[in-house]
Amino acid sequence: MAVDTGIFVAITLVYLAATIALGYLGYRQTKESDDYMVAGRKVNPVVLALSYGATFISTSAIVGFGGVAAQLGMGMIWLTVLNIGLGIFIAFVVFGKKTRSIGSRLQAVTFPDLMGKCYGSSFMRYAAGIVIVVSMPLYTAAILIGGAQFITSTLQIPYTTALIAFAAVVALYVVLGGLIAVMYTDALQGGIMLVGMTILLALTYVQLGGVIEAHTALAAMSDLVPEALAAGGMTGWASMPALGSPIWLTLVTTLVLGVGIGVLAQPQLVVRFMTVKDDRSLNRAVLVGGPFILMMTGVAFTVGALTNVYFYRTDGVIALAAATGGNIDTIIPNFINASMPEIFIVIFMLTLLAAAMSTLSSLLHAMGTSLGFDMMRSGSRGASMKRIQVATVVMIVVSVILAFIMPGSIIARATAMFMGLCASAFLPAYAHAVYSSRPSLLAAKLSLVAGAAAWFVWTAFVHVKESEALGLSNLLFGVPAILPMPWQAVDPLVVALPLSIAALAVGLVLDRHEVAVEESAGAA
Amino acid sequence: MFGIPDPAIWIGYLLALGFTIACLVYGLLNWNNGAEEQRDGS
Repeated sequence: MAVDTGIFVAITLVYLAATIALGYLGYRQTKESDDYMVAGRKVNPVVLALSYGATFISTSAIVGFGGVAAQLGMGMIWLTVLNIGLGIFIAFVVFGKKTRSIGSRLQAVTFPDLMGKCYGSSFMRYAAGIVIVVSMPLYTAAILIGGAQFITSTLQIPYTTALIAFAAVVALYVVLGGLIAVMYTDALQGGIMLVGMTILLALTYVQLGGVIEAHTALAAMSDLVPEALAAGGMTGWASMPALGSPIWLTLVTTLVLGVGIGVLAQPQLVVRFMTVKDDRSLNRAVLVGGPFILMMTGVAFTVGALTNVYFYRTDGVIALAAATGGNIDTIIPNFINASMPEIFIVIFMLTLLAAAMSTLSSLLHAMGTSLGFDMMRSGSRGASMKRIQVATVVMIVVSVILAFIMPGSIIARATAMFMGLCASAFLPAYAHAVYSSRPSLLAAKLSLVAGAAAWFVWTAFVHVKESEALGLSNLLFGVPAILPMPWQAVDPLVVALPLSIAALAVGLVLDRHEVAVEESAGAA
Repeated sequence: MFGIPDPAIWIGYLLALGFTIACLVYGLLNWNNGAEEQRDGS
């Protein structure tokens, strides 16, 4: 972005100094492993809400998904509906309270630990830990790459330096300060994001002549939809794609349902429910969390779609044509660069940096605790903070290496893939664990294995956007996807989650049958 | 509504705003509910 690098460097240094100071505060307050892993279970509700929201919303949610809204239109608002309705309200009120009370009673400190203790099973702990340790580095690498690309283009420094410096700064406060440092810095970053997105929305509507005029102008552009998109079912930027068309399937199954439901079972978010001392804190956090998410994804998707009006008025082209090299990730930055005052460009850059850092820090912490506490734990309950810190460093190094070797084609898919896998593998077993007084281990095992396996098979062999990039289907069957359209456009979550729920139900029936047989044998 | 002709879009906006208001109302109504002392005492 064309902005005075000196001003940005100065503001970034102030921001980094504040971040390091908060990280140091976290370090000072971290005395034992419970502080390191669940922030001592005494986090302020506003800090919880901002931390949850800032972790939830990465740079890719603003720039990447905002770019998707520029391409596919306002239908993305349905993802915001799920983000607030499921991702905040249901997550906090239905899952959060149960998770907090059970986590506190069982003294659980991580998501795999919670699953292991609810089911009284080290299998569940290891299985959840393995899914995290194997899949989360891919998502983390994508966040690292996005952040490094952004720093490179903004500060004009080499990509390798940007990537390593970005990882090193975040690693410093995650490794030393644990979850207290992560959540304190998240809260600062969430505050910056809130300011940045609020100004973005206001200036966009001012720029386009007001709310109604901007929307009316967007609706009037429907005849400008490119032929290829129109053939895929797109009808305009202020209307939904044709029902059942490939673009409708992608919008509804991958973007709205895949990402919207996926958020419910993300380990780095679930652990936050266990950081507060009572339900009152969760009630209060809901009040902050709902408006926060509205101002993140709601603004990104609305502004994303409206960039079409701006580019059409100024350059006579749609947003897609204004994307650098056809990359839709550049639409929002290009729009801001072209239309906003320089001071806001700096604020928005800081917003993106904050969004990347808050998500990255939480992922590093979740991976480190999973490896160091859940996977490497010996028989005793005692957790060695040193071991968790070393494990966190290991996971950071793995993620950085992955960021250097991961192909560009898979990066953009990483967020939706990670969320889809989490929901497919964990959601039914997690819901069963917190809502059943005697959860069935057999049902949970079946659900976790069936969900993860179904997600993998559909991802590697059917959902063409991933299967083509992964190349397994091509290697084994000589085709990028083994099923025809429209199946290729159906997200893995839409298939894997119902299978995971069905496997849970089968497990429950089998378990009850076993108990009934044992009881009748006992009676005889 | 809001200058958007397709109900499938403006209903989405209404729901997004509605859920946000629900979060605000829920938070306000339960501002003091579920405190640690209260729970222990019950």
